[in-house]
Amino acid sequence: MDSLNEQFSHIYDQYIEKIYRFVYLKVNSQETAEDITSKVFMRGWESYQKKADEIKNPSAFLYQIARNAVVDYYRERGRTNIVSSEVLPEITDHGEDIQNKAILNADISIVKTAIQKLEKEHQDIIIWHYLEDMPISHIAELLGRPAGTIRVMLHRGLKELKGMIQEN
Amino acid sequence: MSKITQKKLIEQIKELKNIKPRSEWVVLAKSQIFSEKPVEVIIKNPVRKISIFDVITSINLQKKLAYSFATLTFIFVGLVGFAQHTMPGDLLFPVRRITENSQAALTGQTGLKQNVANLNNRINDLALASKEGRKNNIPSAISEINVQVSELTKDLKNSLINDSVAVKEIVVSLKTLADVPGTDLSESPEVKELYKTIAENQIADLEETTLTEEQTETLVEIKDLYEQEKYIDALEKILMINN
Repeated sequence: MDSLNEQFSHIYDQYIEKIYRFVYLKVNSQETAEDITSKVFMRGWESYQKKADEIKNPSAFLYQIARNAVVDYYRERGRTNIVSSEVLPEITDHGEDIQNKAILNADISIVKTAIQKLEKEHQDIIIWHYLEDMPISHIAELLGRPAGTIRVMLHRGLKELKGMIQEN
Repeated sequence: MSKITQKKLIEQIKELKNIKPRSEWVVLAKSQIFSEKPVEVIIKNPVRKISIFDVITSINLQKKLAYSFATLTFIFVGLVGFAQHTMPGDLLFPVRRITENSQAALTGQTGLKQNVANLNNRINDLALASKEGRKNNIPSAISEINVQVSELTKDLKNSLINDSVAVKEIVVSLKTLADVPGTDLSESPEVKELYKTIAENQIADLEETTLTEEQTETLVEIKDLYEQEKYIDALEKILMINN
């Protein structure tokens, strides 16, 4: 058990920031992001204890749990679409933490808000590729799609993002 | 926001890497994950309705816990207070030593200053034990002093900064020690080593300092005394230069 503890502890240290950032960019609330990220790692730990040998890619494993957790969160809040541009202003967290506000200047905040309006898969691909430096091949494996499709979706996501930012 | 290039957009996206979780939350969340019980645990007792009897029992239990805690606190405070009057060799002396170290930590005393203070306390204990004829405490007091002296020697050897105030205090303490009747620790190996270390540090310090002609002559005498292992005499002359 100690060995599993150590292994998962190492995985936690490696991915906590990435998973938190991934979730935060989807829910735009520090409190909610912390809550969901905690659940992700709790579920991750439960699964890891049962089938550590089967988990070859901890990154994919955790991101999958994170995606599902975010879906569950919105479902509980009575939404079927993860992102809708009409709904989005309601979910903005007016208590957004001061630390992140200070760090993000106005332009970056616009980019952050625009990312939240993207279609879910475009959102995920952009976050993974540009923020978590995940290669296209890994993303393709994660989403179960060909690498060529991922490249196209990345390009479309960027184009959509650019359009939204310029409209603002 | 005016027209934005793809390159600029990607740069701005990458700026979002600055979003990080709170470090205290990261630590807390980790501890919560690993304190969770293993998944094999089966909940045996089904949820049942809470009755007024449960509430009363719970209140009584809380009262008992509160009284127990208050009693333990009083006992602890009493012990700590009583321990302040103990000296080496007494049963509760370790409690006093812990209190001394805690106070030093709270007031931000460094290792060297803390050990100087401890040495003074132990010398006072020895003087008191000698004065009151507490023969059972004297050997323990002497032993504690030797321990403190060894700690100080280590601190001085490891210290990069020559704390002249602390050194002066140590020398004064050792003089006081020499004056305690019925004990002579000046020949103990630990005390001799401390004197030697202090003398070494001070001589090295004086060699780096600009001295008057008279002081330079005194330094030569100090070095002679050091070579003859007359460390106490050497330190007395060093104190004359430093004053």
